[in-house]
Amino acid sequence: MNANSNPGRRKSLHRRHLRSAAEAYAMLAPSIIGFTVFLIAPIIVVVALSFYDWNFLSDPEFVGLANYRDLAGDDRAIQSIGNTFYYVLLNIPAQTVLALLLALAMNAKIKARNAFRVIYVLPWMAMPVALGVIWRWVFDPTFGGLNKFLGLFGVDGAAWLTDSSWAMPVIASVNVWQYTGYTMLFFLAGLQAIPTQLYEAANVDGASKTYQFFKITMPLLRPAMLFVLITSVIGSFQVFDTIHVMTGGGPAGATSTLNYQIYLESFTQRSAGYASMLAVILFGIIAAITLLQVLFFRKRTVYDFS
Amino acid sequence: MAAAAALAVAAPAGLAACGGGDDGNVTLRYAFWDDNQRPAVEAMIDAFNEDHPDITVELEQNPWDDYWTALDTQLAAQSAPDVFWNHVSKFPTFADQDVLLPITEQIDQAGLDTSAYPAALYDSWAYDGEQYGLPKDWDSIALVYRIDALEAAGIDPAEIEDLEWNPDDGGSYVEFLQRLTIDADGDNALSPEFDPDNVEQYGVAMSSSTGQTDWWNYGVQNGCELQPGPFEEYTLDTPECVEAIQFTADLYNRWQVAVPATSSNQPNGGLTYEFVSAGQSATATDGSWTLSAYRDGLDEGNLAVGPLPAGPAGDGTVINGLSHAIYAGTEHPDEAWELVEFLGSEEAQRIATDLGSVWPGVSSLNQGFTDYWAGEGVDVSGFQTAAEGPNIGYPLSLNDSVYAQIAMEEFNEVWLGSRDAQEAATTVAETANAG
Repeated sequence: MNANSNPGRRKSLHRRHLRSAAEAYAMLAPSIIGFTVFLIAPIIVVVALSFYDWNFLSDPEFVGLANYRDLAGDDRAIQSIGNTFYYVLLNIPAQTVLALLLALAMNAKIKARNAFRVIYVLPWMAMPVALGVIWRWVFDPTFGGLNKFLGLFGVDGAAWLTDSSWAMPVIASVNVWQYTGYTMLFFLAGLQAIPTQLYEAANVDGASKTYQFFKITMPLLRPAMLFVLITSVIGSFQVFDTIHVMTGGGPAGATSTLNYQIYLESFTQRSAGYASMLAVILFGIIAAITLLQVLFFRKRTVYDFS
Repeated sequence: MAAAAALAVAAPAGLAACGGGDDGNVTLRYAFWDDNQRPAVEAMIDAFNEDHPDITVELEQNPWDDYWTALDTQLAAQSAPDVFWNHVSKFPTFADQDVLLPITEQIDQAGLDTSAYPAALYDSWAYDGEQYGLPKDWDSIALVYRIDALEAAGIDPAEIEDLEWNPDDGGSYVEFLQRLTIDADGDNALSPEFDPDNVEQYGVAMSSSTGQTDWWNYGVQNGCELQPGPFEEYTLDTPECVEAIQFTADLYNRWQVAVPATSSNQPNGGLTYEFVSAGQSATATDGSWTLSAYRDGLDEGNLAVGPLPAGPAGDGTVINGLSHAIYAGTEHPDEAWELVEFLGSEEAQRIATDLGSVWPGVSSLNQGFTDYWAGEGVDVSGFQTAAEGPNIGYPLSLNDSVYAQIAMEEFNEVWLGSRDAQEAATTVAETANAG
């Protein structure tokens, strides 16, 4: 059939195009409005506020770059940037490797596989605040469960949450525990998308399981890996609730990440302008690191398995 | 810019701020934080509505920490509650920034007899010649204890009346706490067999993010002034104050009679009534507003209240109180004043007092609170005798938020034994005074 030979038909196609475009925009409108009101507008306001001094109660006062200049002399804020990177380094490698190993195990034909899959995702479904209360009891050095347990073996447990060298690793391990199962889901989906013929062919060729893992599984998991790393690294840079309910940034600021510092500056010190400046810095750090990850993976990722 | 910024915070607040009046009815939003006091608040509003059926009062409740952050964002968005609980530590900044409605004129016009309130309590709500609130209640700090713990240690509760502490050997107070600090083998802290790493019950629990329920009290008892006068600089780095801070640290680390700071440091550590209810501590230094939490956590007849010990400078406690504030931007200033006037009245406060909620702002009602608790088998007069003796209030300062953050952080380290008391006090005073 030659549609071009019929002008009337072409016109109606065109009209149908227009109408479906209008429908599409109408459907997109709610999310575009939401995106603008709750994301774009606040970003613009925060960037603008970073040039102001504002205590919430009186009118903001323009101070130019003063907030940015003050950052250089703010030891606590600089420490919080270091704390953030430290947390991400503790959190991401452990969480990613564990999630991958779990996904491999859950992908194997083991008994009660589905039950395990559910169990590992449960921590992610629980409320971080409720978990914080439980974990605080577990880690309480005097009355808590962990040190009582260690005491059975004659081990003196540490003051987990008030010892500045332990507090951050403890927070990171709680978050690893909470998010590993969730991360596993994405690896599992990635694993299940890999065609089994590839492994069958490799078996015929006599490739070892290890060789198959590094030459078939890992390369074909890259889309999943890219997604997992980008989302979990961003989430990790923004960690807040676990810290808020377990240490409140203490002891002596040892677990105050940049995001937590933003909270303290704005909501306990009423320095909304200064906190906005810190938020802009955090935004910049996350954007730069996400860009690096995308660049790193772009040349190495295959999306089409066929 | 102000509008844009206000818009940014207004979005979520605006969604919540519905209601308003229909048929000439007025709706007032009334914000408070303490869950223990909710029954009293509801009962007072019911009574208010008997005379004011045309005013609907919507309650907005947030726990302490969230209360102030929510209030700040609501003020920024110019949609704050019409009437809200105010705290002495937060009040000066609010008054200074003109977000509170002065009620000096209304008080004059109504011809209120303000001598119904203790003068110090009433005056603490004045700023720059204007009055911003009527006292809702008052509180003080005393020694709350488990009767069964004292019995088991063979201690006569009457001993508590005469306890004294000093910075050198701790005095009879520390000895009292040592007898109540008991390890897993049943040995107390005075015994040579005592194992400090395996304690089942500590002598005292303290947990305070500001100092109100712990070291400020030892401070008054040692002649320490947190500031020489209202709105003057913090002076908590003086020898009298540092000695009190050091004594508090000694209770944790030298004498080991206090629930360890690793468990009780704020903002996330356990609360004193939790330690006492669980039997992990025999006593606690705590405020009168927490009484019902102790009652609910302990078996009937096991709760008692005694005076705090005397220090080198004598007796002393920290007193404080709350008031009701009116938002300067309220659309219904007249109705809001009617509510505030009622909540400050003897009639309203009698309702709260008779429910055992808090010590009333109206002095003549104090007996009602004592009677309620006597009916529960608890003699709470320790709070009142403490308040009538030497006391200090919250420091009044525009730099309270700076003080609150740095003090909690620095003194937490002192309680943990990892920071020198003098260095911490100097840092706190310098940081807070710099603003």
